[in-house]
Amino acid sequence: MIENLFIAAIISPFIWSMLLGISFLTHLKPSERFLSSSVNYFSLYMSVITLMLFVLVWHLSPSSTLLDYKDWIVVGEYQFKLRFIVDLLGATYALMSATLISTIFRFSSNYLHKEEGYFRFVFLLSILLFGLMVVSFARSLDLLFVGWELVGTTSVLLISYFYFQVQPVRHAVKAIISYRLCDMGILAASAWTHHYLHSTDFTELPKILGHSHSGNALIFIGLFVIWASLAKGGQLPMSSWLPTAMEGPTPSSAIFYGALSVHLGPFLIMRFYDYLEHFPALLWLVGAIGFVTAIYASLVGRTRSDAKTMLAYATISQVGLIYVEIAHGLTNFALFHIFTHASLRTFQFLRSASLISDFTDNPLVQQNVSINKRLSLEKFFSSNTKKKIFVHALHGFHLDFFTMKFLQFICWPIQIYMKMEDSWMEWDSQFVRKIFRKR
Amino acid sequence: MTTAQSNFDKLIEKIRTRLPIQNPLHSFVHNNILLMFENKDFHEALDEAGVLYRARTYWPIEKYTERYADGKITDDDISLAIDHYLGRYSEIAVLEKFGISAKEFYKSLMFSDLAFNNDEVQPKINDTHLWDSCRGKTENQSLVLTRSSVKWRAKEYWEKYHRENYAVSMQPLVFRLISSYLDQGQSFWSNPFVNKGFWRFFCFDTLAIQNVSSPWQKILADKVTTYESFTPEEVIKAEFAKMKIPEEAWEDFLLSMLFDFKGWAGMVNKLELEPWQAMVKSPEIKLVEYIAALLLVESSLDTFHASANSLDLTLIYGRKETVEMKSFQLSLSLYQITKYFKLDQKWLIDLTFEEALRVVDQMDGLENTHRIRLWHEAYEHHFYREALSAIIQHSEIPQKKEKPYAQVLFCIDDREESIRRHIEEMDSRIQTFGVVGFFGIDMKFASLKNQRLISQCPPVINPGHIVREVSRDQQKGQVFDKFNNLLGTSGLSLYYHSRTLFRGFFSTLLLGVLSLVPMFLQVFFPHQSKSFKKGLKNFLSPEPKTEINIEKGSGDQGYSKEEMSKIVQAILNMCGLSPSFAPVVVMMGHGATSTNNPFKQAYGCGACGGNAGVPNSRAFAKMANDPEVRSEVKKLGIEIPDSTVFVSGFHDTTIDEVNFFDHENLPDSHRESFELLRKNINKACKLNAFERCQRFSSSKAKSSPEEALKHVRERAEDLAQPRPEYGHCTTALSVLGRRDMTKSLFLNRRSFLISYDWEIDPEGIILFQAVIGAIPVCVNINMDYYFSCVDNDNFGCGSKLPLNLTSLIGVMTGSQGDLRIGLARQMVEIHEPIRNMTIIEAPLERVKKTFDSHPRLRNILYNHWSRLVVRDPQTLQWFIYGQNTWVPFEADRYTVKHFHSSMDLINDTHTQEDFAEIDHD
Repeated sequence: MIENLFIAAIISPFIWSMLLGISFLTHLKPSERFLSSSVNYFSLYMSVITLMLFVLVWHLSPSSTLLDYKDWIVVGEYQFKLRFIVDLLGATYALMSATLISTIFRFSSNYLHKEEGYFRFVFLLSILLFGLMVVSFARSLDLLFVGWELVGTTSVLLISYFYFQVQPVRHAVKAIISYRLCDMGILAASAWTHHYLHSTDFTELPKILGHSHSGNALIFIGLFVIWASLAKGGQLPMSSWLPTAMEGPTPSSAIFYGALSVHLGPFLIMRFYDYLEHFPALLWLVGAIGFVTAIYASLVGRTRSDAKTMLAYATISQVGLIYVEIAHGLTNFALFHIFTHASLRTFQFLRSASLISDFTDNPLVQQNVSINKRLSLEKFFSSNTKKKIFVHALHGFHLDFFTMKFLQFICWPIQIYMKMEDSWMEWDSQFVRKIFRKR
Repeated sequence: MTTAQSNFDKLIEKIRTRLPIQNPLHSFVHNNILLMFENKDFHEALDEAGVLYRARTYWPIEKYTERYADGKITDDDISLAIDHYLGRYSEIAVLEKFGISAKEFYKSLMFSDLAFNNDEVQPKINDTHLWDSCRGKTENQSLVLTRSSVKWRAKEYWEKYHRENYAVSMQPLVFRLISSYLDQGQSFWSNPFVNKGFWRFFCFDTLAIQNVSSPWQKILADKVTTYESFTPEEVIKAEFAKMKIPEEAWEDFLLSMLFDFKGWAGMVNKLELEPWQAMVKSPEIKLVEYIAALLLVESSLDTFHASANSLDLTLIYGRKETVEMKSFQLSLSLYQITKYFKLDQKWLIDLTFEEALRVVDQMDGLENTHRIRLWHEAYEHHFYREALSAIIQHSEIPQKKEKPYAQVLFCIDDREESIRRHIEEMDSRIQTFGVVGFFGIDMKFASLKNQRLISQCPPVINPGHIVREVSRDQQKGQVFDKFNNLLGTSGLSLYYHSRTLFRGFFSTLLLGVLSLVPMFLQVFFPHQSKSFKKGLKNFLSPEPKTEINIEKGSGDQGYSKEEMSKIVQAILNMCGLSPSFAPVVVMMGHGATSTNNPFKQAYGCGACGGNAGVPNSRAFAKMANDPEVRSEVKKLGIEIPDSTVFVSGFHDTTIDEVNFFDHENLPDSHRESFELLRKNINKACKLNAFERCQRFSSSKAKSSPEEALKHVRERAEDLAQPRPEYGHCTTALSVLGRRDMTKSLFLNRRSFLISYDWEIDPEGIILFQAVIGAIPVCVNINMDYYFSCVDNDNFGCGSKLPLNLTSLIGVMTGSQGDLRIGLARQMVEIHEPIRNMTIIEAPLERVKKTFDSHPRLRNILYNHWSRLVVRDPQTLQWFIYGQNTWVPFEADRYTVKHFHSSMDLINDTHTQEDFAEIDHD
């Protein structure tokens, strides 16, 4: 039963996205009305499937179902198997994805009505759903990477939904660079895992820890995984792309940066929790990153005066707290936190346009808003310190600047080479000119 | 020194008049975006504004040619437009020497696709002979056409030749600072510099971050250090002196700089001039401070780029940019002209080289401006002719007179046209009138729910009276008040604390699960969730019965009986109600409902400052029912019979629902007619919803009025709906006169209807009141839609989808950027950009006097911001204000379709016309 449901959950969005893709390539675009009603039914179906799966898994938990399928890729003597795990973590995430996406689909059928990009929007969200299903249930790193990449790609493409404008594209590029930097983490981790296990099944990692001859080298897998999770979760030092990613239509910002994409960061850590447990240092690292990010994002978020950026920082800070919870071993609690947080942020994003009427309808607003925002922290600082903190927080504590400096620092050999090349080219062109003049 | 000072002030004042004039969104009112340009001719103002806003000021030409292909612009319209045009812009008749009349010339210009200075145009192969002679004309000439201009901004240079992007560097600094500084409480930490001035904030910020920011910001910090003790004026002057930019060029430089980010510049200006427009707390900000900051940022970027490219900046400021037309292009232009105007090749022989230069030069200019203007005028003419033909023919049909049992006073709003028509069709013994929807009551109003004072009158009036809504039962009122405050407190703390760290942690855990339910409900079942929420609120704390307290109290509270009677007299006179009162008179205010919509205010009653008109109608009904007021009104010459009762009503234009207020004390003798009226109005609402649904392409409810009503309600309650209603879309007419002018004429919701009875107004005093109250509002609404429609990216605020609310004063697109002005694309997508045509039924002399007596009206009429047509009821002649005089007008008579009822017309799918006769029985 579990297996059937699982297959339905993972195959359906795949087939569905393929159908959309084919109809797009063959220019047989369905009418908007047909598309919107069919996608609503489809996502409802997905919600039901994942709900049933969730209930079954919940019933069976804590034991999990491991599913192995045929070889996926065979290169020489290497075999990459399609391995899945159906456990409470994956089922919860899948359920959350399906229900929230169906809400978003429903929301967008009115919100994006008459919009030329509606088909593109639906198509990308369908791929997102497939990607999330893969990530939720993948048991090997390279399979997880596939889903991970699909989520990242759709995210970037939706940031640049208005691709004919400059700013969305710039910010999409910023996002994709951050993603790719961290994606290297997963690739490195899977290579490393493969080296020790001859497969990338991460559930087997804890098993070899005890009797492996190379215990300490295995810590790098953990480091890579933590690094990989940072971009999606918007954790330091990869925080600055997320607030600028609010360029697409509101529902896409809601689903990615309020809910599903941003929580993949902690999700990845939780997937590796059984293994990370063996390295207290790594857990400390996870906790420290989360804690610092939470403080950082909450300080910056306090100074932001626009609805979406503000929500982005609020989200980052809560995700930071989730990291801390995981580091303390409160994985179930963290999962619950993810769930509630994702629901709340989605709702807040969708409602973000109501703020003006919220404030004008509020009987307190005329009298004094500041009554309710008195902050205990503010009392501790002198007015000058407060101003300084405010100004630096306003500029996001110059994260971009430091990132650039760091990149410049690690790229200095390249820069030297570039300078050399420039001067050589200069010399070369002068030389060529001289020759031509002579003729 | 003093003269220099005043020169600078003059400069700033001049700049102020050019900036966008939009209010913060919570007090949005429709305005002519180019209000300050109204002292210029319409087309010239548009040209000037087009340069400033870097925007298109007419539709793109394809839109017009599409309409030409559809028959919505005919050849007649084109020739009329040209005739009309020739009178005003006759200075160019370049080719007359060669046997082409100006008219022919313009016509061919409209259909040509001349493209001068464009290398892509190639002569056709079988035209080699012609091409040779064109080439021969210019080949050996060294002279070429040149147009040169002096450019002062280095920004344009870097962006054009070095592909730098100033906006990308400036945005994170400037927009962050200004949006944080103007913030009304959206962010958790309020800006600590708010009382110290923006310039102080800017200095502090740039100095504090200089070591951790891009290199150009270090240059900026150096500049700021030298200027720190200066006032912003001194900074601007000193910086300009340093840049060696002469005083004459300052205006252009600053305007061009401010218009890079026009939204913020306009908002800064607005909040300096009208600080009370701020929602919570007006920040201390001056436009000069903003200019000084922006100028320093720009000049530091200039310096930075100059040193990076090792170029001398002084050469870039004030450089001369020349556009040349080479001799090859010149021959190409001559070739094109010959082809397009089907000239005989011989004309080239007579043409001297100087003439050729002049012809091409002028054609180049013409091609850019006049072609599109002519198309636009032709397009307008088509609509005007149709409208006038229908209205003139209608005026010749005698109207039946029946004694009414009820009279309903609607707002002049174009959205009320259809419901008035449906009501009258339903029952011919109901009379309707159109008066400005604030019913003459200029008040600040505090509702029971919200004690914040809201101006319930047009924005040009400064409200002088405070009126409060009070609970009839004091105790219940207090309970309600407490509960309401509790809701307010929890609302605010949830807003702030769900976004912080530790409080956010707890509220996330708690609210997250709870928010799932309302989210699903609101997204999947908007209607049910809304009624559930209402029900719950009503159950927890029922809203007590209230009344409007209009009595004169202390200070500027309320109205004295004398003031009330004046208001009542003025309104009754204005709509011409006075001779015959029906037993029931309804004052019908209007407003709109929408969810999750930052532009909520744009859908409300314009005359009530974008709010709902309920308080005004309730206050008016109360005034007019007061026996003391009635006896005062009698002294002023209007006798309201005792048998007449005023009732207050409210029409929600989005959900098409009419509610009545304070009708409990209605005498039993009136009950019957009131119930009949209510029944008829409710029926009319359904039909009105059905008519409106025809415009919504997502509406599945084109089948029956009941479904339509359900559909419009769902629209209003849907969290995801970007188009709760189409507002004033397609508005193009205003008719000022007796209802007989337009009664039983289908106007397709395109007309403002203002009641005025010329017979009771020999002096023309009422006419002036009616015109000054209504026409500027109509023009404002019309022009706001016009500009947002013709170039939505630059005059409007683009698509609603990525809008991001900022500082509680406006919206921007995406995560950062300029504050957007105007209306969203979804709000204007079905609009037809046509200048408003005003039709007045009154003696011509009276109209002339009226329009001459007020500067804004003069501008509107003489500068063609609205077309004016007058029907002189004494001579039954029609006049139109042409180029600069009044001319008698003889309309073409298009056949107007006749229908049995509006419903028949709507159900008739072949009818595309805007106008039709409705014959009852």
